[in-house]
Amino acid sequence: MAEIAPRVIVIEDEVQIRRFVRQALEEEGCRVFEAGTAAQGLIDAGTRKPDLVILDLGLPDRDGIDVIRDLRTWSDVAIIILSARSHEDDKIRALDAGADDYLAKPFGVGELLARTRAMLRRKSRAGDEVAPTVHFGDVAVDLSRRTVHRHDEPVHLTALEYRLLGVLLANSGRVLTHRHLLKEVWGPSFIESSHYLRVYVGHLRQKLEGDPAQPRHILTETGVGYRFQP
Amino acid sequence: MTTSANDGAPAVAVGRRELGSYLLALSACALTTLIAAPLSSYFDLANIVMVFLLVVVLVAVRLGRGPAVTAAFVSVALFDFFLVPPRLSFAVNDAQYLLTFAIMLTVALITGQLTAGLKVQAQLASVREQRAGALYEMSRELAGALSLDQVIAICQRCVAAVIQAESCLVLPDDAGQLQVVGSGGQTAHWIKPDMARMAFDGGACTDLDAASAVGYFALRAPTRVRGVLAVTFHSDSTARLLEHHSLLEAVASLAAIAIERLHYVDVANKTELQMVAERLRSSVLSAVSHDLRTPLTALVGLADALAAGRPALADHQRESAEAIRDQAVRLSGLVGNLLDMARLNAGAVKLRKEWQPLEEVIGSSIKLLERNLAAHPVSVALPADLPLLEFDAVLIERVFCNLIENAAKYATPHTPIEISARVQDAFVQITVSDSGRGIPLKPDIDIFQMFVRGTRESAEPGIGLGLAICRAIVEAHLGTITAHNREQGGACFMFTLPRGNPPVVELDDTPAIARDG
Repeated sequence: MAEIAPRVIVIEDEVQIRRFVRQALEEEGCRVFEAGTAAQGLIDAGTRKPDLVILDLGLPDRDGIDVIRDLRTWSDVAIIILSARSHEDDKIRALDAGADDYLAKPFGVGELLARTRAMLRRKSRAGDEVAPTVHFGDVAVDLSRRTVHRHDEPVHLTALEYRLLGVLLANSGRVLTHRHLLKEVWGPSFIESSHYLRVYVGHLRQKLEGDPAQPRHILTETGVGYRFQP
Repeated sequence: MTTSANDGAPAVAVGRRELGSYLLALSACALTTLIAAPLSSYFDLANIVMVFLLVVVLVAVRLGRGPAVTAAFVSVALFDFFLVPPRLSFAVNDAQYLLTFAIMLTVALITGQLTAGLKVQAQLASVREQRAGALYEMSRELAGALSLDQVIAICQRCVAAVIQAESCLVLPDDAGQLQVVGSGGQTAHWIKPDMARMAFDGGACTDLDAASAVGYFALRAPTRVRGVLAVTFHSDSTARLLEHHSLLEAVASLAAIAIERLHYVDVANKTELQMVAERLRSSVLSAVSHDLRTPLTALVGLADALAAGRPALADHQRESAEAIRDQAVRLSGLVGNLLDMARLNAGAVKLRKEWQPLEEVIGSSIKLLERNLAAHPVSVALPADLPLLEFDAVLIERVFCNLIENAAKYATPHTPIEISARVQDAFVQITVSDSGRGIPLKPDIDIFQMFVRGTRESAEPGIGLGLAICRAIVEAHLGTITAHNREQGGACFMFTLPRGNPPVVELDDTPAIARDG
């Protein structure tokens, strides 16, 4: 991580949750600002120039999805949302509104830090030039030559499979909703055809994962979408 | 009914009235002869004939067909006897009078017939009009009826007013049993339940029970038969029932439509009530879920931060912090199960079914349970041609999580957990099995019931909701779930999901890069 401490704003109405999130992030070397309301959070986001916003969806003063939309009109700061496990619809709406990732309550410090690091890494890499070759597991993807190798053997992907892999790689660490992926890879008229996406993800796993039934890189976020993890 | 006391009286009265009209016809003819006799010396006989014809027409108008025919013959006879020479004898001097008689008789009969026919037509028209008016009145009243009792009263009033008969409605109750309503409980004895049932089941038929002369008319509404209209004249005359058959059918169908309308008003009210109740229930559930989860999240996070915090804690302190974290996570799991069960039971769960491969949801379940599966390798064996299945991924993931978690809890450490699937007829059967001590299956204990555990007070955590949730979810997907022990030891849970008609996925086979020529 860079010499300057990354700045994180935690917008959450429950004091005890803010407390442990703050403690964990500070130990990780971040500067943490706490906000108990959406209004305060938005003001902080404007003045503190954060690298990451951690946002609870159930705020008392405003709908969390609204806050994301608002934030996205003037900032591309990374956003991780906190939401209850069973509320898939809320997660999807938040992600489609522009959030990058979510943590389901209750979550441990380990998960929180892993997600935070992934987001900050994305952020610090954003300015750099894109590496022509991406490695994950025993797979190497050469983006300039559009070739994929596994165990140094060439893997043949179809045009759609390659495009899907490309979108996943470009958003490494982020959760991409079914809707988002269908729109990016197949086009807006395929938004309702989620079975296409699932079949093609299955193909990619068959070709690139060690055990397609227990994938390590192309991960399922059940009911929400997919996440690529290097 | 007031006529029920003297059943035979109407027939006698009718007979007497008919005899009277014949006598009247005869006296009219006699009177005409009396008046015509002295006039015959001044008028030509051809004109006298006209007077007789006029009388026959008048008789036909006033008294009907029979008296008119009688009058026709009697007129000819009287004309011959008293007016045609030789008088006071049926003999005729001039043969041309025979022609007069023939024409006179023919004209009298024809005009009599026509006139009487017209009269009958007019009477029928007036009866029809009266009935149509009554039906119209009834339908107008039924349109405003707000309760079943009103509908019944209106029907009974209409039947009584138009055909002077007694009627009752026989309607099915909530259990589908036919009940006589609107009889006041006293005169229902004339209704035979089996006949009513026949009319109700037949739907289209009308039973005329000849023995008691009770008519049963099915109340046929657009969607289904709503009940039976029973009508009786309290006489053994089925003829009158037959006579009013079409009218009674019209009454029955008006009543049926009114009852159906009331039924749907009722359904609409109930649905609205149910919707309000459900909205309330689901908002209570989500409030409870939020209020329970917030402190649990803080508890898990704080304990975790304590355990991982710097400076590092002493070993026993760190272990305590971790134990607090683990217990809080467990508690959160239990709360999650309780809330899920409440949601499933309340019918507040909407299935978000999508076509998808089974493999994916198995993979995500295993990933979620990584911690629990440290001592158990999981092997997944799915046929390569397993079709896409339509299910709610979040819920089916829950089923897998619960089954795999159970297997991990009860299986002998370091034995594998096996997951497999196969197509069987219209279903796909999915099996999760382990190599543990198996399930203590007892015939009187249904392990899929809420709060039922294989062993009471066992050391293993859990309150027996997991399998109940599994069953609720699988059944919501129209599948079944069963459990048995394997021969070689270990528990085996099987559930099915319907295959349905998976959508076709058109695969592209264009390579990502054009091959070098």
